[in-house]
Amino acid sequence: MATDVQYVPPPLQDIPTAKEKKYDRQLRLWGASGQIALEETHILLINNGPGVTGVETLKNLVLPGVGQFTILDSTVVSEADLGVNFFLEDASLGKFRAAETVRLLMELNPGVQGYAVTEPLETFIAQDNVFAPYNLILVTAPIDPTVLAQIQTHAQTLQIPTFYIHCVGYYSAFSVLLPPAFPIVDTHPDQTATTDLRLLKPWPALVQFAKEKTAGLEEGKLNAQEKAHVPWVCLLLHYLEQWKEEHDGKLPESYPEKTEFRKLVRSGDPHEENFDEACAAVLKSLNPPTPDSSVREIFNAPETQNLDATSPPFWVIANAIHQFYTTHKQLPLPGAVPDMKAQSADYIKLQNIYKTKAREDCAEVLENVRKLEKNTSRSPKLAIDNKEVENFCKGAAHIHLVRGRPFQVVQAGQPVRFGDRAKAMAMELTMPESLIGLHIAFLAWDEYIATHSSPASEAGGQALKVPGSGVDDFESDTEKVTGIAHTILDGLIKEAGTFVEDPEYSDVKAKVGEFCLEIVRAGGGELHNIASLTGGLVAQEVIKAITRQYVPVDNTCLFDGVASRTGVLRI
Amino acid sequence: MLKIWSMKQQQQKSDAASGQTKKKKVTAAQLRVQKDLSELALPGTMKTVFPNPDDILNFTLTLTPDEGLYKGGVFNFTFAITQNFPHEPPKVKCKEKIYHPNIDLEGNVCLNILREDWKPVLNLNAVIVGLQFLFLEPNASDPLNKDAANDLMTDRDRFKRNVRSAMAGGAVKGETFDRVMK
Amino acid sequence: MAATMQPEAVAPTTNGHNSSGRARWKYMDTLLSRPGAYTDPDDFVPGAVPIGNVEQSHVLVIGAGGLGCEILKNLALSGFKKIDVIDMDTIDVSNLNRQFLFREKDVGKPKASVAAEFVMQRVPSCKITPYVGKIQDKDEDYYMQFNVVVCGLDSIEARRWINATLVGMVDENNPDSLKPLIDGGTEGFKGQSRVILPTMTSCIECQLDMHAPRAAVPLCTLATIPRQPQHCIEWAHIIKWEEERKDLVLDTDDPEHITWLYEKALSRAQEYNISGVTYSMTQGVVKNIIPAIASTNAIVAASSCNEAFKIVTSSATFLGNPGLNNYMLYTGDSGVYTYTFEHQKKDDCPVCGNLPKDMLLNPESTLGELVESLAERPESQLKKPNLRTEEKTLYYSAPASLEESTRPNLKRKLRELLADGEDFAVSDGAFDITFRYTVRYT
Repeated sequence: MATDVQYVPPPLQDIPTAKEKKYDRQLRLWGASGQIALEETHILLINNGPGVTGVETLKNLVLPGVGQFTILDSTVVSEADLGVNFFLEDASLGKFRAAETVRLLMELNPGVQGYAVTEPLETFIAQDNVFAPYNLILVTAPIDPTVLAQIQTHAQTLQIPTFYIHCVGYYSAFSVLLPPAFPIVDTHPDQTATTDLRLLKPWPALVQFAKEKTAGLEEGKLNAQEKAHVPWVCLLLHYLEQWKEEHDGKLPESYPEKTEFRKLVRSGDPHEENFDEACAAVLKSLNPPTPDSSVREIFNAPETQNLDATSPPFWVIANAIHQFYTTHKQLPLPGAVPDMKAQSADYIKLQNIYKTKAREDCAEVLENVRKLEKNTSRSPKLAIDNKEVENFCKGAAHIHLVRGRPFQVVQAGQPVRFGDRAKAMAMELTMPESLIGLHIAFLAWDEYIATHSSPASEAGGQALKVPGSGVDDFESDTEKVTGIAHTILDGLIKEAGTFVEDPEYSDVKAKVGEFCLEIVRAGGGELHNIASLTGGLVAQEVIKAITRQYVPVDNTCLFDGVASRTGVLRI
Repeated sequence: MLKIWSMKQQQQKSDAASGQTKKKKVTAAQLRVQKDLSELALPGTMKTVFPNPDDILNFTLTLTPDEGLYKGGVFNFTFAITQNFPHEPPKVKCKEKIYHPNIDLEGNVCLNILREDWKPVLNLNAVIVGLQFLFLEPNASDPLNKDAANDLMTDRDRFKRNVRSAMAGGAVKGETFDRVMK
Repeated sequence: MAATMQPEAVAPTTNGHNSSGRARWKYMDTLLSRPGAYTDPDDFVPGAVPIGNVEQSHVLVIGAGGLGCEILKNLALSGFKKIDVIDMDTIDVSNLNRQFLFREKDVGKPKASVAAEFVMQRVPSCKITPYVGKIQDKDEDYYMQFNVVVCGLDSIEARRWINATLVGMVDENNPDSLKPLIDGGTEGFKGQSRVILPTMTSCIECQLDMHAPRAAVPLCTLATIPRQPQHCIEWAHIIKWEEERKDLVLDTDDPEHITWLYEKALSRAQEYNISGVTYSMTQGVVKNIIPAIASTNAIVAASSCNEAFKIVTSSATFLGNPGLNNYMLYTGDSGVYTYTFEHQKKDDCPVCGNLPKDMLLNPESTLGELVESLAERPESQLKKPNLRTEEKTLYYSAPASLEESTRPNLKRKLRELLADGEDFAVSDGAFDITFRYTVRYT
């Protein structure tokens, strides 16, 4: 019996861990590094009003495994809460909302720790260093603007990304306060974004390979199979040489020239797939390697230009890559090669040619980095990691910089200012798809609250009066909020130093009035659907801010649940 | 909800069916296959066989080339169409084990419109024309059967001989093929 | 840090259920009791009517996965009280990063019943009836009981089926037969939600081109010239498994099967000097895994439920008004972007392009007589028709083999072939569209 040969399944190897299994669908997006960043984060939610959007946001962060969260909320659960907040149950009635929502949110993920703070906001923020434990803050409206201004000051000092969120009736909005310089290397550019293959300025190894693969092409010496498997990169290099010979050494630049060049490529073969691929690549792969505006903005940023011993690595590497660009009029080669019709061995060879060149470029950038470290007397403890330089070189064409801007905080009795954005925002007024009118309506809503609430005194808290929240104040509050909004609108036009003529002006005013009416109609209430949708949007942006991946909203996003669309404004 | 109905009433009234039917409806995939079949233009060298005439999603196509290297052979292809047609292409396999550069020993067929180039606007006729073409012009540059492709490329005469012997049920390089002669 | 103090517990007004009033629905009721900027006074009477509509509407939710969990929660907290949910799947550990109604202990249990149970326990006013199974198990009688259908599916086939079913159910004389269909879908940071008013707006079949077919690599590339790690995995999956384990049905959830494919793919990759084959990639390619996160699901599900709420209450403009927008595309990987537009109805749509028409027939006449009469019908004049029902091929003029096998039917009486009320479809090579008829016996 002992000699019986039984089927033994092959040993299981590289099987994902339990955690990798649970998080599989998100790790495919932000990877292990994004997940680590998420798990190291502690989020503070300052929850006001009905407080649904804030809790829904946390739901979408607890599920993927944020490290810790704290809810600051001194409200006691009311019946109205039970009809709109999923993270409360009947037994929560009369208990602290913070404690109950924390308890039920924590059920979602045993790996996440949550805390509830039930002291009033005013006394909470009066403590020293109270925001220091947190990496990110969420604040929901309504909130006393002077308190919001204080939170903003702390957040700016500590450079903590902070979100200010509105959700009323069918509408919502959120603004993001990011640090004054928020650079992103890993932007996950669209799959269809073209990778730089440097076909206009090939290096000797690539030229040599293309020559080998296309030798005899013109003479008809390649057999059908060989011809059908010449990688299109080699085909284009081959025909570019031919084109240059016929055009005084010039490359095809203009659109008609490229169309002409495409005909030349096509003349090589009427239907083989690799020739199809080559023709399809003519328009997008033969562009001079000009970095796009966001890359140039980073090159010219004062942080890149004026390095010191403690400059964050991003700026040092940006400077080093700028030097590389100045020398070569090219960004470092990313090194990736798209899949193309080719024999396996040829494709692998081509891949290696690109990888080798990318490594050489990266080595040069790294050398620049080391020189910069030396010149700025950077401490060896702060030495920049090779890996970071490598990643930067790979994504150099798609790096992105957000210049965080403060929230537009209204002040009772003071006109609302748009500052250097006034002109741009005034232009938005006449764009049919813009949601600037909704932004103005929310500003008016904030201002109404700032001017209609009783001062903080009794009970350690402040009673904020929200428009439309009374039994019979719908019409009168609609009128008031609309009036404030129209004042803000006129102020914006004036600040921008522009005019909006009738009938456009009347249309803009009417549109703003409609937004105000809808907002007051809700009486400060949240609709669960809109809160849930907004919680999805905010959580997504929180993940971007934490992982420093993908491109964040800059800086205000609005949702119109009547028309079912979003809009983004830079305020 | 009433609003939708009043909008519906405002739309032009059609003489659409009244009352409810409890019977199952002809599915979208069936409708499309029926239409494709009605447009099929089969030459004398091809015919379809429906093992169950009520099931038009599964059938066999028989190809009997009257010219080219495979002249005189009878080749059967199974067509399996899912309810997701035409979003998904039909699944086509050769029932016989044959010696062909674009068909492997399991019957898998390398035809672009059956995979990477499938589009819902293509119809069954396009697939059938594609299969017919494979027997007239076997393509050595995109092989599924590498040995056959090499033979075709390097020595067309040997390839011809191999085709004939494989079709007769003989062996090529130690691999025995199904007899497919008429 | 945690609170140490609890306020005096307020006694609940009733024991759990709030029978006395609608205090729980204060926010929603306030909004529904006031006219809005976009409500039509003829259509929206603030107060009891829209509130009653929500309470009385019977909603069907198809799918209890990433979108479905959110949809059930959203509907329950939008005041809906009567919901059915259908899902055939069981809970997998990889669902837990977003399907928030499920816990570790629920792995292996059916999604529909666990989800229904959880939401009912949290929102006691809502009654949710789960069905664990396929949508195709149910007939028109079942679907007729609902007022709105909200879908959170990952299968195009299932979407097409429910769409065709709902289009087919529309009866000109019965307002209740028109069921708005709201459909959501996600992929990573992207998604869409759309509203279909069957027979009135563009339908899922009209919009089939909005779903990109799955990208595929030529078989010959897999077989002879692999270049990417994915090519090696697909080779193991499509070719090698067939060759070596033909008799074993591949179970993509069985780690042993995935490991087998992974090892085959890995050794092939080594042979061709291709790097990058991993277990995770193998699993991704073989199962066609689409990345999914909680936030995108929340956005798309809430947008879908918002449309359902607006349709039921008429409290604001909704997607799907004929001639207006019916489709919202969402992208969140670079900033936040939506594109909301009207997808046009297609006249030649096989599902909603030409609806079945009644055809009065004598059950004692033959199929041959029916075929002859088709050639004379003014709208069609079908000379070479193909006719079938869902079950039966009645008569096909082409191809020849089917003509031969269905020819005997021409002599048969219609009552032997067609039931009263049954649908049949007629195609002819000379026409682009397929005609559909419903049998009405005289």
